[in-house]
Amino acid sequence: MGDVLLQAKALEVGYGGSALFPPFGFDIRRDEFWALVGRNGAGKTTLLRTLLSLLPKVGGELQARDGVRLGYVPQRESVDPSVPARVIDLVRSGTDRAWSFLWPFKSLWRPDAVRRAMRDAQVEALAKRPYAELSEGQKQRVLMARVLAGDPDLLILDEPTSAMDVIAERETFSLLDHVRGERRLALLVVSHHLNVVARLATHVLMVDHEAGKVVCGSIDEALADPFFAERYGTVFSCYDCGERRLGARRLTQLAPHVHAPGAAAEEAP
Amino acid sequence: MDAGAHYSLQLFWESWDYFREATVAGTIGGLMLGFLGGYIVLRKMVFLSAALSQASGLGVAYAFYLQIYWGASGHQHAFGGATDSPWWAALLGSPLLGAAVAALLVTAVLALAAPRLSGRSMDALLGLIYLLGSAGILALGTRIVEEVQDIQTILFGNAVVVLDEDLRLLAFTAVGVLGLHLLLMRGFIQASFDAEGARVRAMPVRALNLGLFVSIAIAVSVATRVLGALPVFAFSVLPAMAAQRIAPNVQMTLIIAALLGAVAAFWGYVAAFLYELPVGAAQTLVAVGIVAVVEVLVHAGRLARRGWKWWRRPVVASAATRGGEDA
Repeated sequence: MGDVLLQAKALEVGYGGSALFPPFGFDIRRDEFWALVGRNGAGKTTLLRTLLSLLPKVGGELQARDGVRLGYVPQRESVDPSVPARVIDLVRSGTDRAWSFLWPFKSLWRPDAVRRAMRDAQVEALAKRPYAELSEGQKQRVLMARVLAGDPDLLILDEPTSAMDVIAERETFSLLDHVRGERRLALLVVSHHLNVVARLATHVLMVDHEAGKVVCGSIDEALADPFFAERYGTVFSCYDCGERRLGARRLTQLAPHVHAPGAAAEEAP
Repeated sequence: MDAGAHYSLQLFWESWDYFREATVAGTIGGLMLGFLGGYIVLRKMVFLSAALSQASGLGVAYAFYLQIYWGASGHQHAFGGATDSPWWAALLGSPLLGAAVAALLVTAVLALAAPRLSGRSMDALLGLIYLLGSAGILALGTRIVEEVQDIQTILFGNAVVVLDEDLRLLAFTAVGVLGLHLLLMRGFIQASFDAEGARVRAMPVRALNLGLFVSIAIAVSVATRVLGALPVFAFSVLPAMAAQRIAPNVQMTLIIAALLGAVAAFWGYVAAFLYELPVGAAQTLVAVGIVAVVEVLVHAGRLARRGWKWWRRPVVASAATRGGEDA
């Protein structure tokens, strides 16, 4: 498989033996940022759960390279706030893999992994705080730290910015991009924020159960795909900063925005 | 005790030899069930414990019924069945075996049904098992006139006297179950509270869940036989409810719940002696009292923190501002 971490060939996903989309394939490599997009009910979650082996595939091949570690960051709602847990407890729990829990004090033997994960996700200062008392953005960072503690090669996140304000959303995506560069991870992120996708993603996986379509490939290939353009509009590039934005087809130029170095561009009102 | 005797704590300690087995059995049961109750409460499956204890009670009642049906009576085999009956009758008439079979049967049904049922349907199924257990015990009770006192014990827990064999059995069960849980605690916690993440990380979630449920079923069935269904249900819910309010994490919830369970069981027995109450009811009431005290302390702590913040508010700045305005 070479440098491929996860490979799908003629993959079919669905329930009860019937596929939601036609067969499709992709290779996910280190350093790539994949965006999984689609409308509500389009089949994103089914595909995600299949990639994580939480659901059986309907057909085709799905193969992870030997020894590849998958990390899964679920939606924040999946963590029950009534279960008492401090940030440090959640992060430590991420070090367990396979049968490692048979060594009851294992996480104490990997303090470096826990510390590094907390530093990378910027939650060191929150270590002793109860998870339930954190803001949405902080919770998301804690869940990321938990997965990073397991030192994954491919990180899969399910709508990491849902129910977040604009600032927390921007910080989360910046952090994701930073972690990807720092750890040389591959990322696959389910997101509805297409402008962020256009700005950060290197690859796109767009699914549409109703239309029976899958668009899959590099960001340039996906943006050039007529079906993608029909659903999400045309991509525009800023002459000054080169930033890509998606817009309705009737637009003829990129909306005015602020060119702030190192920060996401602001939409004009 | 003689009528009119003055029931005091001193008298309880003086009579310790008489109450020792029952008190120790209750304390061990409270410790074990309090610990397991952490999973039951945090996983929101309180009805599971109720259904298991009632089903175990039905298993015990059915064993008594079989003993009478086969004409067995009196002394017991190691399994708890009567000695003057054939071994197979003694085995089938064993209250312990009845409780264990019923609890494991319920666990198997729930494990098979769980993936197909929504939360509400699971609640309904647990309610059905609970009602079947309760009604079954009462119905069989009418056929076991000679053992009616035992039926009362099964239902409400009135373990005034606990046999040596029962105490040993409960102690072995507690050591086995708690030992297993200490060994697999990290796995059980991951399978309980981050099941999908654990599956992605190749942890054996299904096997861990099965191990957890079977250990709960065994603990509940043995404890139901020895202590009765009411205190078993109480110990597997109330101490964990209190612990959840004060523990910083799941591990501490389990440990605190175990300690509170032991405290409730011991002092419940003492309260039963002092106030001439049924043991199961007294233990349950003490456990309820612990929940109430913890709740009050938690709220008092919150109020105290708020008060402290209010007291430490930056009054100097406001005084300076006022001074400036005055000037």
